[in-house]
Amino acid sequence: VLNPTTTIKLLRRCAAVLAITTTAATAQPPPAEAPVPTAPEQPPLGEAIVVVGRVIDALGKPVGGATITIEGNTEPSARTSRTGAFEVRAPVGATLVVESKAFGIGIATVTGPALDEIVLLTEEQLGETIEISSEAPAVAPGAARLDRQELQRVPGTGGDMVRSLTVMPGVVNVQLPIGYSGVVIRGSSPQDSRVFVDDFDVPVLFHTIGFRAIVPAETIESLDFVPGGYDVAYGGASSGIVLLKTRAGSETRSQQAELSVIDGGLIAQGGIGKHSRYMFALRRSTIDVVLPSLIPDDANLTLTTLPRYWDGQLRLDHELGEKVRLTLSALGTDDVVELLGSSQEDADSKRFYMSTRFLRTTGSLRFKDGPWSGYFALSALLPQTKFDFGLHQRIRSWFPTVTPRFEVVRTEAKALGLANVEWRVGAEALISHVDVDLAIGREPREGEGMTVADSNDASVKFNETLWNPTFAAWTAVAADLSPRVRANFGARAEAFARNEEVALSPRGEVQVKLAEAWKLRFSAGAFRRPPEYQSEFLSKTAKSERSKQLIAGVQWEPLQGARIQASAYYNDRSMLLRYGADGELENTGRGTTYGGELVGTYRVGPWFGWLSYSLSRSTRVDAPGAMERLFDYDQPHSLNAAVSWKGKRWTFGGRFQLYSGLPYTPVVGNVFDSDKNVYVPINGEINSERAPIHHQLDLRVDYAWKWGPVALSAFLDVQNVYMNESVVSYFYSFDYTERAPFKSIPIIPSLGLRGIF
Amino acid sequence: MRAVVFLILVALTSACDLDLVEVWELDHDRVIAVRATPPGILAGQTSEIDALLGNSDGSPVVTAPVTAVIVSPPSLAGMLALEDGRWIVTAPDDAAIAAARAELRLEPAAPVPVVIDVGWPAYTATKTIVLGEERANPTIAEMTVDGTSALAASEIVVDRTAKTTLSVPATEEDRVAWLSSCGTLADFDLKTAFMTVEPDDPIAGSLAVVLRTRDGGVAWKTWSIRAE
Repeated sequence: VLNPTTTIKLLRRCAAVLAITTTAATAQPPPAEAPVPTAPEQPPLGEAIVVVGRVIDALGKPVGGATITIEGNTEPSARTSRTGAFEVRAPVGATLVVESKAFGIGIATVTGPALDEIVLLTEEQLGETIEISSEAPAVAPGAARLDRQELQRVPGTGGDMVRSLTVMPGVVNVQLPIGYSGVVIRGSSPQDSRVFVDDFDVPVLFHTIGFRAIVPAETIESLDFVPGGYDVAYGGASSGIVLLKTRAGSETRSQQAELSVIDGGLIAQGGIGKHSRYMFALRRSTIDVVLPSLIPDDANLTLTTLPRYWDGQLRLDHELGEKVRLTLSALGTDDVVELLGSSQEDADSKRFYMSTRFLRTTGSLRFKDGPWSGYFALSALLPQTKFDFGLHQRIRSWFPTVTPRFEVVRTEAKALGLANVEWRVGAEALISHVDVDLAIGREPREGEGMTVADSNDASVKFNETLWNPTFAAWTAVAADLSPRVRANFGARAEAFARNEEVALSPRGEVQVKLAEAWKLRFSAGAFRRPPEYQSEFLSKTAKSERSKQLIAGVQWEPLQGARIQASAYYNDRSMLLRYGADGELENTGRGTTYGGELVGTYRVGPWFGWLSYSLSRSTRVDAPGAMERLFDYDQPHSLNAAVSWKGKRWTFGGRFQLYSGLPYTPVVGNVFDSDKNVYVPINGEINSERAPIHHQLDLRVDYAWKWGPVALSAFLDVQNVYMNESVVSYFYSFDYTERAPFKSIPIIPSLGLRGIF
Repeated sequence: MRAVVFLILVALTSACDLDLVEVWELDHDRVIAVRATPPGILAGQTSEIDALLGNSDGSPVVTAPVTAVIVSPPSLAGMLALEDGRWIVTAPDDAAIAAARAELRLEPAAPVPVVIDVGWPAYTATKTIVLGEERANPTIAEMTVDGTSALAASEIVVDRTAKTTLSVPATEEDRVAWLSSCGTLADFDLKTAFMTVEPDDPIAGSLAVVLRTRDGGVAWKTWSIRAE
């Protein structure tokens, strides 16, 4: 995965060689007369081979007349032609010294018969920072990326990562929070997707109150949204994944404070010596200060513990020589809310309490040594949940998890007749010690329609301590089959001990470069989600839900900084979990989702533009012979158009959203359960009605200024400026004889202030 | 769980004007409670089914269901009969109860739940009684208004300018339901409830309280009520 902006700092004057892949560099394409290497068998180390290469300057122009000397020799072995090309005989592993009068010295290592382009820099360039910008390739057809600055510029999101996900194509857009830790992607349930922070998943994605992401955007390097066809290095999701990369602290020390009506936080970053950097962030909610004033005096409610959250991140990076980097990171949250639905403080039957907290700490070692690269990591997750509802419902869960993980990559310019070969192998083990004590009602599942929420129902009980190990290993090979065709094939093997299940999931992709700006991509793969979501874990007989995904996409880059992607997909889901007649979970469901997506991005100068549109249909069959029905989160149309302009002091942005309402199941009657004193709804045809289309316009303005040594910025982010009220869902009366629409909130202004010093 | 928090906050801060009928409003056609007297019987014993219904005129009535049928276990469907306008459940002999226990895969000697659907032209309800174990309905032994006993009062009068405290004795496990067609009730599902009279509230009607125990026992009391 490449960063969209690659900043190369030239720390040493003698490091005059930059080997840049042609996709990231601004280099010109090699001329026709440049020597084209053949594909000989890889010779043994020490045996001289014919090596071809090309020398260019920082602007990509060929450097002619440069001498190529094998290190240790006194005389040059070759001289570059007018096109910058050269050919020498040298053994693999030898160092080539490249010299030219107008440039500094360059060095390259012979890794095979064809070398990457060698970039020579002038003396002036050696003393400055050269920034080479290029949009990174999408990690899968239909995938999209937002970097940190863009995350903070999308209007209507308050600079929040979770809300920024709603601009992504294929993400179901709705104003109610769905799920705990995932997003609804391409007609799937939230638990079918996973969010990884630096390659490790997190148990929750957003805070209980305020629905803010647990990671502030300021500490994020980039966000990759992969709606399908994701890599073999990841598992546990039957739809798509979100990859968050945190960023290392900058070399320059700085502190930052931010305050909004939702939360406030501090960020400190900087360097420690020449080789180490730190990033520390701490944030606390402020909504608990505001909330009491929002609750009417006559509300029959007692906020026993004001809802609040904390989150914090720590990241330490240390360069251990030129080839090895150590990273230690920690990410944690602590949320609590407690309220009584009564003014009587001893009304425990109407008490709601929830506390969720987790800490993930990870130590990793990344290395790059010639054709070898990779990383080793050891991560520990400490999640804890406490939940009480009324007198009888409770959850106490504590499941510390240790995850060792590694991946090693070997690259070869030529191997087995293929070019640019990359072979990866990796493995991980998730070893959890589960301690759960719960007493709750039966959890409703997707497609059940309206169900009764009775705080006195504690019919599902579980109190056990057990080990739950999951093992996974993967391998993949990527190579250029021809100058225009690149393929990537791999497989992931998984073993889920809890359910005694072993799975092998093959995945692959073929990219065809039609022309310089056009690329076709085809992806296919198998994916699984183990039954570990909430009370699914209680079942020993439930198996993984499965999906097979087919994706075809086309990518067009009409100019530097602009990209248009279109993709069509078909997802076949099977073994979907449903309650059987005996109330136990069974893998009887099937599902189908198909659709098309369009993403356009424009990143040129001060402008940032984003356009995404999704067309999809998602259906389910709950059991063999059952009627096909719409999926709970079926959203046929979703359109997002955003544009932002950034000047020296002012940044302006706007975003327009339009999306279909979600289907819902009408209630056609009721039965009164006299002993429980609750009305049980009689549902009509499942998901036979749909909420209306919603559209809104969001605007955002940022202003930056200096106040002494402090760089200040303020933002005003206003959602739904023309106050469009759409029906999101319906509230029913206690006996389901009446219903009232729950409408979208007419206008939501958000104000924030940030200072950097 | 998060959805619960969200909906609570949304309801409190932005969507309070839902204007839906409240569960404590008595002037609403519906079933308030179904009672089996007694709720648990041994072989050969009988239990009578009746109900408290709410009406749109605000006066609750006690009546027998129009229809009644045993839906579980199916083997005991014949033990319910209409006798002189009263629905009577007669427990079969121990052998039949044991057979029903096996049918429901219950532990030996476990009480056998019998689910009865009762109905009126406009609404239906379910009531569960148990066989093989004697159980009794609770008794509402006291009811106080602002601390003063009002159990035997023919009419309750409350101050329309003040918050009135209504209370019955109940354990933490009991379920209490207060209903009124006068004023506005808060904490209507706790043993101590509060009544206020808003300007547009009715100032006369009925007050009812239903006490349910966790083992299926039901008791209710009704009063006339007036605010002045």
